[in-house]
Amino acid sequence: MKRDDRSRPEDQSHPENSAQEETESVNRREFLSSATVAGLAAASVGATDQAAAQQVASNESAPGALPPTAVQEAMEAEIPAGYSAEEAREYFVRNPGSDFMVDVIKRLGLDYITTNPGSSFRGFHESIVNYGGNQAPELLTCVHEEQAVAMAHGYYKVTGRPLGVLCHGTVGLQHASMAVYNAWCDRTPMILLAGNHLDATERRAGVEWSHSAQDCVRVVRDYIKWDDTPFSLQHYAESMARAYRIAMTPPMGPVAVVIDGHLQEGEVGDHSPDLLPMTPVQPPVGDEAAIAEAARWLVEADSPVIVADLMAHDQEGVERLVALAEALQAPVVNQFGRMNFPNTHYLAQGAAAVAQADVVLGLELFDTWGVINTLRDRVHRDAVRKARPDARVISIGTNDLFTKSNYQNFQRYYPSDLAIAGDAQATLPILTDAVLSSMLRSRRATNAERESRWRDAHARAREQALDEARYGWNASPVSTSRLYAELWNVVRDRDWALVSDDNMQSRWARRLWPIERHHQYIGRSGGAGLGYGAPAAVGAALAHRAEGRLAVNVQRDGDMMYTPGAFWTAAYHGIPLLTVTHNNQGYHQEFMHLQRMAARRQRGIDGSSWVGNELRNPDIDLARIASAMGVWAEGPITDPDDLGPALERAVEVVDGGEPAFVDVRCQPR
Amino acid sequence: MSVGLGTIRSAGRGVLVISLWALGATVAVTQESDDDVREGRALYDSHQCWQCHGYEGQGSVAGVRIAPTLYPYEAFARLVRHTNLMPAYSPNVLSEEQLRLIYAFVQSILEPPPLEDIPELDFE
Ligand code: HEC
Ligand SMILES: Cc1ncc(C[n+]2csc(CCOP(=O)(O)OP(=O)(O)O)c2C)c(N)n1
Ligand SMILES: [Mg+2]
Repeated sequence: MKRDDRSRPEDQSHPENSAQEETESVNRREFLSSATVAGLAAASVGATDQAAAQQVASNESAPGALPPTAVQEAMEAEIPAGYSAEEAREYFVRNPGSDFMVDVIKRLGLDYITTNPGSSFRGFHESIVNYGGNQAPELLTCVHEEQAVAMAHGYYKVTGRPLGVLCHGTVGLQHASMAVYNAWCDRTPMILLAGNHLDATERRAGVEWSHSAQDCVRVVRDYIKWDDTPFSLQHYAESMARAYRIAMTPPMGPVAVVIDGHLQEGEVGDHSPDLLPMTPVQPPVGDEAAIAEAARWLVEADSPVIVADLMAHDQEGVERLVALAEALQAPVVNQFGRMNFPNTHYLAQGAAAVAQADVVLGLELFDTWGVINTLRDRVHRDAVRKARPDARVISIGTNDLFTKSNYQNFQRYYPSDLAIAGDAQATLPILTDAVLSSMLRSRRATNAERESRWRDAHARAREQALDEARYGWNASPVSTSRLYAELWNVVRDRDWALVSDDNMQSRWARRLWPIERHHQYIGRSGGAGLGYGAPAAVGAALAHRAEGRLAVNVQRDGDMMYTPGAFWTAAYHGIPLLTVTHNNQGYHQEFMHLQRMAARRQRGIDGSSWVGNELRNPDIDLARIASAMGVWAEGPITDPDDLGPALERAVEVVDGGEPAFVDVRCQPR
Repeated sequence: MSVGLGTIRSAGRGVLVISLWALGATVAVTQESDDDVREGRALYDSHQCWQCHGYEGQGSVAGVRIAPTLYPYEAFARLVRHTNLMPAYSPNVLSEEQLRLIYAFVQSILEPPPLEDIPELDFE
């Protein structure tokens, strides 16, 4: 589609154009059918792939274009009164490149762009606001680039839709980098847009030089899937489409496209670029013969166990896993990198189930070696096998499709007895069919006995969790089990979603709360880079806002101090979110490491492990930080009996569409 | 005592209320065991047992529950000195006498309320 198409009259009534008053450009967006783009993200991995692909195809028609000379003609015709043609050329840009850049983004269907402003993308910034009407995408103001990336991370985990992250190509990407690493480790797609000034002769003196780089993406290239530095608008259009596809094809991950300042600010010129149709890529699926073999092993196994980590992309993935587990009557150990399996299902079992397995099926495991073995934290780090010596391991996942080597997030090598490269969610239905069709009646007859065994084990584990939750019930600081029990009582009758992970709170959410839907739990940060929690929660809460859900964030104190500005963004953009702190007044994880070292060296008692680890003296008043950001806040709460009523008050605020914050002094874990 | 840090066993006659600087909380202890339990508590703090077992020995993902104590001192001491996953505390940093005091403290921690008395844990 050419850029200079003239509108048909009816185009101007298109709802997307309402914020756009200049008639010359409204027509372009007519073709950016929201149906087209909405289908894309979902189509990449979910069940509705084909339908979405058809929808895309049917939306691809583009009208004819005017001849290039029209650009000049139009320019001549649009000289504002009182200016010579020469003056007008110096003062005004009629058809800036960044408007086209926005058209491309609209076609990709990015709902939002998180950003911290910078002059390297001032043209693009202006186009989003005044040409794009600051709608689809809407800019979300962030006060740190690390926050901007983590918000996109959290948003994706709820919606399955990637966001754009717009940053200064130099200092902005430097700030963003750790959060990009988290996204990379967590296989989360997003499109980084980095402003840069490539032509040295066009840079204004001073900061524009300091904020330019030959290769600005270099700082994050070790942990993104792909990047490009387009030299023309057509190049940009193609690279954006490619970037989106690469990001969204499993294993997913961040990508980056540089937007050159000159391209943004200059005229499109005579050679109008084309917008490209977007077609989703179908995810890679495991080899059929290998899947048949895997099915045979699983069916013949006496005690098959399924372990799932970064597996389910959406609720469909959860249901596919339930179908497989029930077909086999095999327990599922959910490692909760994603919400893979309902914890209320009797086949949901603890990690100990692996120890008795004769066949282990690993689905998108972050660490296959670590499921089978462990390395003890002693002077000599000896490996201990947790699985049976004769256990065979089948792995299905996209780990082998990664191609980066510097950062070691890929974990220790484990050979697996049968390794199948492919997206596990996409592969599951084929595997389940193969299981069902190869299951003889005699094998099927064992299912009832297996079912009752796992039902018993599940009921016992549930009883035990409730019993354990009592210990320290009246303690001050508040016990982590009480924190989650009190929270449950304010969310239980609502459409809730947890937007933080519970690893540092002794996993009380998954032990106590019934977690059944994919969107109710968003997994972990991926790279364990701190500063993720608050902004990821805000990004996820934004996604839940559209569904009217109550988003709940259990926020660690140390993590919060890296990116507290995320709470300002929540207040500014009216993002309802209930935040409750797990405030143990320190970097507790590191306390334990220091103590382990001290004990090993037989020294260092009397409080030495507070050094470098405590966040006290002065105590940090987290509630005042939140409230200074415009967020309703209470705390610190030390008496556990005060917690319930404070949460009730906070939820009322959240019901009114605002974020609320309750600081709770808690037990360390 | 409004905020019980420790619901500490009060087998004896009088009950003392003591403020603990480290926790800013109050603990009720019996007069008889006062000294041992208080010293044990202080050692439990300074030797960082709370890091993994919680301030009340309630346990966590980083260290199992150790209170109320289910076994005799000898077993307790063996588990602290010759461990599998926990950092081993040798007598060079934690003397026999100190460990006995910690044991006295851990032993003094009472059972929590029964499930029926905690409506917040009624998940039905
Ligand atoms: C860095 C964490 C950590 C610290 C600090 C720590 N423990 Fe432990 N403790 C553990 C873990 C983990 C276990 C489980 C041990 C295992 O499975 O080998 C454990 C087990 C125990 C057990 C055995 C419990 C059982 O029933 O099996 C006792 C008793 C114990 N710890 C007491 C102590 C005492 C007393 C201190 C302080 C002097 C202490 N621990 C400090 C982590 C810790
Ligand atoms: C950016 C970054 N710096 C340092 C660390 C090392 N680290 C891991 S856990 C931890 C403590 C975090 O404190 P907090 O978020 O309060 O959680 P807690 O362990 O206290 O529950 C630190 C410093 C890290 N993971 N990421
Ligand atoms: Mg902390």
